This record gives sequence, structure tokens and C-alpha cells, in this order.
Amino acid sequence: MPADSLVAAIPVGEISRSCRAGQASGTQNPTVRGSLAAQGNRIDDTSLIREAQRGNRAAFEVLVRHYDQSVLRLALHLTGSESDAQDIYQDAFLKAYKNLGSFRFECSFYTWIYRIVTNLCLDHLRKRNVRKEDSPVSVDQSGEEYSVIDQFADVRAGANPERDLMRRELGGKIGAALEKLTPRERMVFELKHYHGLRLRTVGEMLNTTEETAKNTLFRATQKLRSALAEMR
Amino acid sequence: MKCDWVQQNILFYVYNEIEDDARYEVEQHLARCPQCANELKAARKFHATLSQHPVAEPTPNLLASSRMLLQEALESTQQGGILQRLVFEPANWLRQIRFSPALASAIFILGFGGGIGATYNYMAGRQPVENVASLPNSSSSTPVEASAITGIRSVTQEPGSNQVSIKYDTISTQEAQGSLNDQRIQQLLLFAARNNYNSGVRMDSVDLLTQAPDDNRVREALIYSLQNDTNPGVRLKALDGLSSFVRQDPTVRDAVLRALINDAHAGVRLQALRMVEPMKADSNVRSVLLRLSQTDQNASIRSQAQTMLAQMPEMD
Repeated sequence: MPADSLVAAIPVGEISRSCRAGQASGTQNPTVRGSLAAQGNRIDDTSLIREAQRGNRAAFEVLVRHYDQSVLRLALHLTGSESDAQDIYQDAFLKAYKNLGSFRFECSFYTWIYRIVTNLCLDHLRKRNVRKEDSPVSVDQSGEEYSVIDQFADVRAGANPERDLMRRELGGKIGAALEKLTPRERMVFELKHYHGLRLRTVGEMLNTTEETAKNTLFRATQKLRSALAEMR
Repeated sequence: MKCDWVQQNILFYVYNEIEDDARYEVEQHLARCPQCANELKAARKFHATLSQHPVAEPTPNLLASSRMLLQEALESTQQGGILQRLVFEPANWLRQIRFSPALASAIFILGFGGGIGATYNYMAGRQPVENVASLPNSSSSTPVEASAITGIRSVTQEPGSNQVSIKYDTISTQEAQGSLNDQRIQQLLLFAARNNYNSGVRMDSVDLLTQAPDDNRVREALIYSLQNDTNPGVRLKALDGLSSFVRQDPTVRDAVLRALINDAHAGVRLQALRMVEPMKADSNVRSVLLRLSQTDQNASIRSQAQTMLAQMPEMD
């Protein structure tokens, strides 16, 4: 073991610092079904978190169970791919586990974990923008392009091919319109429209203000409306 | 004029994000203004259209397999933690400052070093302090930072005089700052990715290397980590970093294929499998998939490989 230890100071993840951005809020848990369950969960979470911070892996796993379904739902809808959703899921909770020591209860655990997930989703969206030329695409009956890899997610689609085709057509148009948004616009729209989060919460998760989130939503919907109008 | 303001806010009205007083104003206006009422209709239609891309609930299978993979990954992350906890239990803070065993030795040796130094000091005579124990690296006799000393190499006394010469090693923690393009930063990252005993630091380094500009050394380091790192999380990170090179670089492709066959961790193999999927026409990939579909320990991997083979075009 060398006696000299060199330490490179490179900012790796500013998770602990970003909690402070949301301090004024009094964060809500809008998507958990049944607000009473949410309240109960929040109280349990504190002791679970403390236990997990002390190294109790079982406590961490229980904590994960409180949030993982909605995390997976978000990742799945955003990426459209089961394998990508699973990757985001793994990365998010591993990152949470690794950085649990820096969680100081300055915001709710819900906001904290969603901030991690949101950042991973943004990374995914940015990578996808870069790799769009590379990804293997094929063309289906209606002339829509689709990603070959994502086909694997549809294998279990079900017995009604006509409805699936129709759904895929409409989904394809909406999907294409959504692709026109920047990653941040896409993220804000996704969280607001498809997951019903309040814009103030969305702002916290993206480390910005409610006002900025509002403006981003406005821009996103303008772009989407014109994109869909063009496609008719 | 009012119409502009209302139309700006109709979106937030539809999303129920509007302040109560603003909502009142909007509703009042909408009752009187057919143009804005139409705009509301259009906004609601848009909202409904977008909602036709429904949010599917993840299948129980997907959830279960995600949980399982996470559990596996946590298990391997935990092992280092257990060892650390058993050995250094009372000192939780040590984990946070990336405890170095050298520090422990330094503190231990310091006791001896301090003792020896003090002995020589005393025995050298009752002279004023500045003539005694002249240290080679400092002109005055200011005390050395105790925790920095890792060992005393030699203690010699000039025969027939009060002068003592002590050679000692210190830990010097340095800090390097810079962008990912900086050569020094890259050099340190490459070192950290291979050599650091702490998997957290290795993972951070690999993570940053994946963002570093394309460089043969970086690719090599990622391949090395993929093949040799004991921590599956680090291997997954390395895989992730290599994913953009899989198609164009045959060395990377071979490394990924090797990981696909040899890696002990199912999560890593699964990721590698996904990465080679776009190259299914390649004969190397095909033969690996064949083998995988028959002999892999993990049922999910076997079935996915089979599915991929079934979808591939027939080739000789």
C-alpha cells in the first residue's frame, strides 16, 4: 500500500446539497394512492432511513418497497422500454444506497429519491438524443419507425392485434411529438401530465423553481400542440 | 387585452395549477368570451389526446425481477461494508472519510517515533531547544503534523555532538482539480479505477471515465474494470461506459462477449446481453448467444438469448 494517498477533488453528485433547494416547501406526496397511507409511510420512513443509514440492509429494502413501484412506472413510461426502465431502477436505488449517508432529512425521502430518478431519466433522454442515428430502427405496417430493441417489451402485448396497432399508431404520433421536446421539457411534462405531480414538486425534483417549471411546461405544451397539429 | 392573459393561463387552469384568485378571474372571463372558451376547449382536447398514451403499470414480473436484481447488487455492495463494520465498529465516521490503513499505522508508529524522538531529545543534553534534534526538512524546530507521519526511517546522532538527524515519511494528501480533459485528472482517474481498495471510489472514477473524452487508455481502463473488478456495480458502470463503442470497436465487443459468458453476476450478464442485441447478425455474437441459451445459469438470460436467436435472420 503506497504511503502517499492522492485525493482528486472532483464533484461527484451533489445530492446532499440539492436538498436545500426544496426547504421552503413542506413537500407533498401526491401520487401515492390514499393520502393516509402516505402519511403513515412518511412516519415509518424516518426510522427506516435511520436504520438503513446504520447499515441495516433489510431496512433499506423495506424503504425501497415504499417507492419502487412508482419509480418503475415513471421510468417505464418515460423510456418505453422494460430493460431501460430496469436499468434506471437499479441505478437509482443503488445510488440511493450508496449516498444514504448524505441524506440529512432536509427534504422528504420521496423528493430525494425522485431527484435521483429524475436525473437518471434526464441522462437517459440526453443519451438517447445523441444515439438516435445509431439505434436500430425498423418500419412497421403503418410506416412508423420504431426501435427494434423496444419490441422486446411488447412481446406480452396481448391478444388484440387491431387494438394494439391502433394504440401503437396513436402512441407513435404522441411518442414522436414527445421526442421533439428537450430532455428537461420532456421530464417536466412527464411528471406533470402523466404522474400528476404539482409543479412546485416538479421544480424541487429538477432543482429549480416552481416558476421555471411552469414556464417549461408552457413551452413543452406549445411544442407538442404544434407537433401534433402538423401530423394530422 | 384580458384575453391574452387568460389564454396564457388556460394551460395552468386545465392542469389545476392556477392560484385561486386567478382561477376566479379566468372563469369569469370564460363565461363572457367565446374566443377564450374555444381556446379552453382546444386545451382540454389536447390534454385528453395526450392522455391516450396511458401510463402502464409495470408487470408483476418486471417488478419482481427488478427487486431481485437490486437485492443481488446490494448483497455484493454490502460485503465490504460488513468487513469494515466488524473491524472498525465504533468508528462510523471512518467510513465516511474513506479510511486509510496507512493512517492507522501512522498513528501507531507516531507513538514510537514520538517516544524515540523524545528520548533522544532528553539524552542529547540540557541545551536550549534550537540546537537539538535538527530535522532535515525544517529550518526551525516547529513540530511536525503528528497524523501525517507514516514512519520513521532512521534516527542518527552525530558522534560527540548534540545533533540528531531523523528521517521520516509522511502522508501528503494532495488535491487535483480540473476538467475531464485534463491529463492529470485522467491519469488519477485511471489509477483510481484500477487500484483503489474502496469500491465507492472505483465506481466514481469509472463513472467519470465514461464521461471523459474518447481515448484509447480510457477504453482500456473500462475493459480492465469490466474484466477484473470484484464489485459488480463497478463492472456495470464500466459496461455502461463501453456501450457506445460496442459497435465500432472489435476489442470492446470481444470484451463484452467475454463478460457475457464469464461474469459471475447475472445483472452484469443481462446488461451485456442487451448491449450485444443490436449486433445479432454477427456470427461471433450468434455463437455466444447459442451457448448462453443452453448453458447460462440464469433462466431469464437463457430465455432472452433464445428469443434473440429466434428473431435473428437465418445465416450460414
